[in-house]
Amino acid sequence: MMTKDTSMKKHMGMRAANAISNTVIHIVLAVIAVIWLLPFVFIVLQSFRVENTWQVGYVIPKQWGFANYKNLLYDATKGWFGTPFAKWYLNTFITALVTAVLQTVFVLCMSYTLSRFRFKMRKALMQFMLILGMFPGMLTMIILYRVLKDLGLTQENAVPGLILVYVASSGMGYYVSKGFFDTIPKSLDEAARIDGANRAQVLWKIILPLAKPIVIYTVLTAFMAPWGDFVFARYISFGSQAGMNVAVGMWNWLQLDQIGQKYTMFCAGGVVVAIPVVILFLCLQRYYVEGVTGGAVKG
Amino acid sequence: MASVKLTNVKKVYDNNVVAVHDFNLDIKDKEFVVFVGPSGCGKSTTLRMIAGLEEISDGTVEIDGEVVNDLQPKDRDIAMVFQNYALYPHMTVYDNIAFSLRLKKLPEDVIYAKVTNAAEILGITPYLMRKPRALSGGQRQRVAIGRAMVRDSKVFLMDEPLSNLDAKLRNQMRAEIILLRQKLDTTFVYVTHDQTEAMTLGDRIVIMKDGYIMQVGTPTEVFEMPNNLFVAEFIGAPKMNILKTELSKEGDKYFVKPCGAKIEVTGEKGRLLQEKGVESGEIILGVRPEHIVLASEPVENAIPCTLEVNEMMGSELHLHVYTDEGTRWIVRVPTIDLTSEQREGLVNGARLYITFEGKVMHFFDPESEKNLIYGEE
Repeated sequence: MMTKDTSMKKHMGMRAANAISNTVIHIVLAVIAVIWLLPFVFIVLQSFRVENTWQVGYVIPKQWGFANYKNLLYDATKGWFGTPFAKWYLNTFITALVTAVLQTVFVLCMSYTLSRFRFKMRKALMQFMLILGMFPGMLTMIILYRVLKDLGLTQENAVPGLILVYVASSGMGYYVSKGFFDTIPKSLDEAARIDGANRAQVLWKIILPLAKPIVIYTVLTAFMAPWGDFVFARYISFGSQAGMNVAVGMWNWLQLDQIGQKYTMFCAGGVVVAIPVVILFLCLQRYYVEGVTGGAVKG
Repeated sequence: MASVKLTNVKKVYDNNVVAVHDFNLDIKDKEFVVFVGPSGCGKSTTLRMIAGLEEISDGTVEIDGEVVNDLQPKDRDIAMVFQNYALYPHMTVYDNIAFSLRLKKLPEDVIYAKVTNAAEILGITPYLMRKPRALSGGQRQRVAIGRAMVRDSKVFLMDEPLSNLDAKLRNQMRAEIILLRQKLDTTFVYVTHDQTEAMTLGDRIVIMKDGYIMQVGTPTEVFEMPNNLFVAEFIGAPKMNILKTELSKEGDKYFVKPCGAKIEVTGEKGRLLQEKGVESGEIILGVRPEHIVLASEPVENAIPCTLEVNEMMGSELHLHVYTDEGTRWIVRVPTIDLTSEQREGLVNGARLYITFEGKVMHFFDPESEKNLIYGEE
């Protein structure tokens, strides 16, 4: 009887301790979440504020409306999508989309090669790229500008120039996907090759379907980097409205001479910029969930 | 259906490790050849060179008379089953089996007929729409075999296909492979480290060690006429008992003197020793555990020994004994031959007497370890 009582007490004590620690953890996490979400909520609310365009001392708008969004895309003389913002948005979208496609192809081919083929200087090449990757990309900015200018790919032609910059060295970002490819048993490649597949078919029909989470990861990161880039984009567009991306264009709205008229529009622009990324994540995130290699080989 | 011919095949890895030395073998059409040996002996490497998954450093591999050294695996018309199944996890069983046929761009109705036929033979029809992860080990291996079957290849390669299965399933699948072989009637090259598999499956067995062929022969040949000590010990379970002892020639008779006994070499072995002109001298004597006769009384020419371990295997006992000189031997005794009284007497430390007939002995050169009778020069 004694032991039963003690054991019950122990159980209850543990339950109480669990409840307390859970409560504390939840409160801490809730506070962190609020702090983290506040700027986003703030931006969304400001983007719907139509009573005035400058900064005010309150958060909840007094008058709600879509005027800020309309102003982003509608120009009184040029009509819909005639605004600089629409141009910047299109620039950014084209840059990010093309970069995402090309970079994904380069990274996956590079990773597959380094994971599956054995060739002379393979290790040396990998180490070389690792070391090269440690230098900040900014260091190359001056010479890149020079090269791109000579090629005529700056200012109003900044979009192809930027794509070139983003894609050119993208093969160096092979680490994560190569690591993933390494976990896919080589006997699957061999089985497929005996079944009649060539190397490209092995990659396309066997490896990539199994590496879906990493392909998605590669696409997302390849899209996100140019989507949010500021430094290179500003440098290469060099003041040309036609060559700017959204980050550079909208940054100009924050200058002293413009902020009074553009403040709420800036907030609306921020929301619009987030939309494709949110859609992309919603569409692709389910592929993260499941690892698909189960049952391939004896585990 | 085709022959496979390996001529002076050699494999040297980048780090200059030689995995296979000068491998010569002629595999006849529809023959079932098993490569067997301990791990690292080069058996899988040789198979993979036939498959085209491993580059051939030197020599030639011919399939059906055509040198295939520089052909891609897909152009060699071979099928292969892997140890770890290597099923495509994102495809259903049906798609796994159909994969090679789709790459060949066969019409879907032909593919359907072939896949369902293979599934029928292998008993996996109910699982065709499942993914590999929803199958048991045995079922997965059947799918892997099915995938190889539908290709109607000239040569069927199997790389330790049963090693990942549990003992019971392995026995069952072994029998199924024998049946499958009868149905497919094609050339098989099978790699295993398990001598039982090699003995039961192979028309011929290639026993390998450190990249060299130790012996090529039928199961009976390698068991009864091992070329050398390695083959003698590798084939047969439990392994052959070995003892360094004296062989003496007295007139035209030969005697061995293990542990104080004196046993005459009788039967064909005595005649063959004479034919080979073997003289008296030190030899390595080999006697298989099942050829040793157990006695509880000291009989003529019996070797006294002490029982150390008694393993009950069901139908037989494996008795580990050591002689007074300290040599450890294993004796295999069918349980049915023993009275219950005798069985009870087989406790650790029991005094036993072992002997064997003159015709069951194997003789090896202590230097070269070659069989004095059957060893090739």
